[in-house]
Amino acid sequence: MSAIAAGLDAPAADRAPVLSPMLQRLAAERATGALMRDHGTLYLADGQVVHAESPATPGIDVLLTAGGTLRHEGWWDAVAQAGAHRRVGRYLVDSGHVPGGALELCHLGALYDAAFFALAPTGTPARFRYGVAHWIGPVRPVPVAAVERETLRRREFLDRIWPDAACDGAPLLRTAAYGSDAPAPARQSRILELADGFRTASDIARELGRSAFHVLVDLRRLAAAGLVEAVRAQPLPAASAPGRITLPEVTADPDIALLRRLRDALEAL
Amino acid sequence: MPGIDECLLEVMRLPGARGAAVVDWTSGLALGTIGDSPNGDHEATAAETAEVARMAAEQPAFARLSSPAEGDRPPGEAAGPPVEDVIVTTHDGYHMLRFVETAFDSSVFLHLWLNRSEGNLALARMRLGELAERLVLA
Repeated sequence: MSAIAAGLDAPAADRAPVLSPMLQRLAAERATGALMRDHGTLYLADGQVVHAESPATPGIDVLLTAGGTLRHEGWWDAVAQAGAHRRVGRYLVDSGHVPGGALELCHLGALYDAAFFALAPTGTPARFRYGVAHWIGPVRPVPVAAVERETLRRREFLDRIWPDAACDGAPLLRTAAYGSDAPAPARQSRILELADGFRTASDIARELGRSAFHVLVDLRRLAAAGLVEAVRAQPLPAASAPGRITLPEVTADPDIALLRRLRDALEAL
Repeated sequence: MPGIDECLLEVMRLPGARGAAVVDWTSGLALGTIGDSPNGDHEATAAETAEVARMAAEQPAFARLSSPAEGDRPPGEAAGPPVEDVIVTTHDGYHMLRFVETAFDSSVFLHLWLNRSEGNLALARMRLGELAERLVLA
């Protein structure tokens, strides 16, 4: 708990994309503690990721209570009973509040969701606090390499759907095309209903009790279909993940690929 | 406590089971895997099967006919996809994608890869449905 290491996560090195050299070091030394970055925190135990949190994503409490899996009282009961021992997850299952499989699915979803934002490019140095554990306790640890691989894959995945990150952080507004001749799938419609010109993707995720990355995926599809756009009047907040507009680092010929996608999108309008 | 791993172990006890995975169809992430995968890479397979599952889940042709108007649903209430499963038959196997309905918002399915000569499609379909339910029930 006492030692605080400081290290600089060098952004954009020329070699193979490394999200955080510090994270890889910590995995190699099987460290336990909390890696605090600009957009979120990764919790490690024995060098594996056991939990992640980001202000951009709804926490596991929101995910579980929004859909009615768990009542608010049940959540607070678990935190009161098991929070001090850092075994809230285990308590939720043992007390019958949440089925074991459901907790694993929900927790893994929240972990990868928060990690995606926590590992977003940043110029701010990361800090690691040795010994810190999260009160949710062990649920289903994930290797650091898997989290890094998935985060990189998700960035590419978003850009493949629609290579414009404008909707990721800005307030969103559905366009006039909404409700006319272009019906959106049910899950996307619920996002559109909340795109009122004020809410951002993170706000919508919290309101729906849905993973923020899932909302981003649907938003890229909606943006590609011309059903939603970012409100650009206000300056973008710092949390809008600077650098997300950059092209995927592994694309062999990014310019051509981007131009093709733009042309296809324009022709589809 | 039945969890993801216990569920996958159960799935593999089906005759002819070659491999299985729990996959999130919005992101294409494999949340758990067991056995073999057709191209030797569970993560790539998950991303591919997720696309198939998503297409099935979102096509209006497969939507529930008697579902209440979407606007009546209180925000945040989880609603499973209208499709129960998708079955793809190849020369030597079956791929079964079974949607998992959860009380919280999710987009999860079970993928089972079955050997065509040893597997029993009807049995596997019934059992996979049971296991998908048990995975998220106490």
